[in-house]
Amino acid sequence: MNLAWVVPLFPLCSFVLLLWFGRKWKQTSAYVGIAATLLSLLAAFGVLVSRLGGATYEANWTWMKIGDATLTVGVSVTALNAWMLVVVALVSWLVHIYSQGYMAGDERFSTFYAYLGLFTFAMLGLVLSPNLLQAYMFWELVGLGSFLLIGFYFYKEEAKAAAKKAFIMTRIGDVGFLIGVLLLFWQTKSFDYDDIFRAVGNGTLSPGMTTLTAILIFIGAIGKSGQFPLHTWLPDAMEGPTPVSALIHAATMVAAGVYLVAALFPLYEASAAAMMTVAVIGGGTAVFAATIGLVQTDIKRVLAYSTISQLGYMMLALGSGSYVAAIFHLTTHAFFKALLFLAAGSVIHAVHTQNIEEMGGLWRRLPWTAPLFLVGALSISGVPLFAGFFSKDEILAAAWTNGSVGLFWLAVAAALLTSFYMFRLFFLVFAGEARHRHDGAVHEAPMSMTAPMVVLGVLSVAAGYIQTPWFGSFLGEWLTDGAYHHEAAPGWIAVVAASVSLAGILLAWLMYGKRTVPRDWLSARAPYGYELLRRHYYMDDLYRSTVVALVSSISRLLGYVDRYLVEGLVQFVTGTVNAIAAAGSRGQNGQAQTYGLVAAAGLAMLVVIFALTGGDWL
Amino acid sequence: MSGTDIAFFLLALAAIAGAVMMLQLTNVVHMVLSLVMTFLAIAGLYVLLSAEFVAVVQVLIYSGAITIIMLFAIMLTRHHADDKERQTTGGVGHKAAAAFAVLAFGLAVYAGIRTLDFGADGSALPADNAKAIGQWLYSYYTIPFEIVSVLLLVALIGAIVLAKKDGKGAEDE
Amino acid sequence: MTLSAYLALSLILFCIGLYGALTKRNTVIVLICIELMLNAVNINFVAFAKYGPHPSVHGHVFALFAIAVAAAEAAVGLAALIAFYRNRKTVRVDEANSLKH
Repeated sequence: MNLAWVVPLFPLCSFVLLLWFGRKWKQTSAYVGIAATLLSLLAAFGVLVSRLGGATYEANWTWMKIGDATLTVGVSVTALNAWMLVVVALVSWLVHIYSQGYMAGDERFSTFYAYLGLFTFAMLGLVLSPNLLQAYMFWELVGLGSFLLIGFYFYKEEAKAAAKKAFIMTRIGDVGFLIGVLLLFWQTKSFDYDDIFRAVGNGTLSPGMTTLTAILIFIGAIGKSGQFPLHTWLPDAMEGPTPVSALIHAATMVAAGVYLVAALFPLYEASAAAMMTVAVIGGGTAVFAATIGLVQTDIKRVLAYSTISQLGYMMLALGSGSYVAAIFHLTTHAFFKALLFLAAGSVIHAVHTQNIEEMGGLWRRLPWTAPLFLVGALSISGVPLFAGFFSKDEILAAAWTNGSVGLFWLAVAAALLTSFYMFRLFFLVFAGEARHRHDGAVHEAPMSMTAPMVVLGVLSVAAGYIQTPWFGSFLGEWLTDGAYHHEAAPGWIAVVAASVSLAGILLAWLMYGKRTVPRDWLSARAPYGYELLRRHYYMDDLYRSTVVALVSSISRLLGYVDRYLVEGLVQFVTGTVNAIAAAGSRGQNGQAQTYGLVAAAGLAMLVVIFALTGGDWL
Repeated sequence: MSGTDIAFFLLALAAIAGAVMMLQLTNVVHMVLSLVMTFLAIAGLYVLLSAEFVAVVQVLIYSGAITIIMLFAIMLTRHHADDKERQTTGGVGHKAAAAFAVLAFGLAVYAGIRTLDFGADGSALPADNAKAIGQWLYSYYTIPFEIVSVLLLVALIGAIVLAKKDGKGAEDE
Repeated sequence: MTLSAYLALSLILFCIGLYGALTKRNTVIVLICIELMLNAVNINFVAFAKYGPHPSVHGHVFALFAIAVAAAEAAVGLAALIAFYRNRKTVRVDEANSLKH
């Protein structure tokens, strides 16, 4: 366990090596990346296994001393960290393998792997950080990796804009995070999680300050995890390559916000207001994003809104006080959402379009992808016996036992919507007849792409059984060091959860599978509502007409100040110098007699001065 | 008013008249000739100042040699009749500035010399100053004298080199 | 006859020479004006030799040196003028402005 620090180093090595030799190695780069992540994964497993039997490990090295404060860097292996390490490394490894098929032939193939390595390094480093300062640095590094990968197709205008948007939107959240961290440091004189928790425990941190810092840090999490109102970057981030969407914008990076809140959970627990904020934002986002997901026609955007919605679930779980449920859902979500994205990538790979209206009838054409997608969809919808069912059930139970009935029903509504839009997607893509003639043969993806999907498919089912009402709650007990006791949630919650998910599937089947209900049944009756959803509640337009307009008008104003005031000043100075020089240069007219005149005038002046002052003739 | 004074005023008048005519005439040859009058008047003044040797040198060098060289130069360079042309450079501003500067200089200096008098009556000079000059030149001023001879030699050679046609022009002839 | 009368005459001649040197267009005349200025100076030498605080023939010797130098100057100046004329086909001072800005 004291070798935990090597886990993030392998992807870093891969990044550095590929930056140097990537151009030469070309397609071989994939093996470097895969090998590095595999080593990371094995090391992460090693850490997990040793943590299973051992205690929390933490090591710090002094980084610098500023006055009385000592800044340290280090690694810490708590139960949460060890668990996250494995999840991140595993998904990253599978995505590395998948990318070998998906990105084959791309000109910047090695660059892609280098960026993946950088991102994996940053994410693993973030997970291992024992203090907030280090976490903040890796947090930004994660943002950088995301920026590079979203903008990977930088020659596409949309990708460029999306990368910038993602960077700026998350940056808004990061400012909150940074202020929160600094406030905590000001109050507690330490960045260490443990010191902060101790300060919360013994009252060094006043309740008001606790709430303030918790909410500020939560703003950072909102930005990173795409929660309302900073969610608009996440759907646009789908301009990146699909494996990236799977790794970053579904499984790992966006989970960083959830992870951060989970890592600082004692801070949040100390403030009821902060908990309430987290829960309300989470629950609201879950329903909000799910409704938008109902009407999107881009396969990746549907999944993106589903991601936002599921992250809202996790936040809801955290806000409801169920730390275990959030991490549990984070884990299962990482698997089934990565599976769904990889399957979507496989579909896109096959038909070269992302518009689900142009798909259809792919069930037989993609014998591996289609069933795996179905598994992912069942899992996310919360159909019993799949992983999503258990984790979602856990969250619903947490919301119920926490006493917030409104949030509970919000979560149920989100579950219904989730299963509906997932199966709308499924039926539109795989069922029925092909609605569009695709150029070339539609063929199943290569082995390197299907194999990771199979692994994720298995995990999408199996991951649920580490925490069930029937076989004991292994994860919960381990994460809380045995102090976990399963809340005696009413049994009817599981029944409700299962029935709403099945109801959603049934509705989707009626509308898109069997078509007994016409597709435009709802949109015809509420065209404005439909339009509202299709335009994402006009959030982008709202931002464009308020924040963006305000900022750009300020920047235009400052631009004018710079162009006319500052530039004018500079022009004035240079103009003055130039004018003086021009005048001097005009004096050099080559006329010897002019020079002579000047000399004579000078002589006359000297003589006159002498006569007026030095002479005694007056 | 003594005869000396009358002679001084006449000579001074002649000198200034020659100089002013030089400024006012338009024909270059006339200008040089009017200046000859000034030079001769100055030679007369030298006689009044009991510097007969310098007066003779003045007549020989200025009225003779230099005037002749100038006339030669005018003839060598005169390619077309420019009598009708403007004789001065610059505009009114240039001329006015020059006049003003010269006037200011003149007035200031005149203020200094107006009442200058050392009380000497001029009787200290030897009567045969040519002999005295020769004695001084060949004893006390030997080295400056020799250096002047070198200077004249250099001027001679320099003038020849400058006025000589360059290699290309010489080949053409 | 007093010293100041000679000095005033010398000053007038010097000023006329200076004015001509500054304004005349023909290079030959400019050179002649410079000669006039030198002459004015010579008058000073000779006048001081007679009416100065220490009357002696040293002033005459200096005047002779000045005349020698003026002769040399006139010779070289006219040679330079000839060379200039050969190159530019003009003797005008205001056209000798190749060195202007």
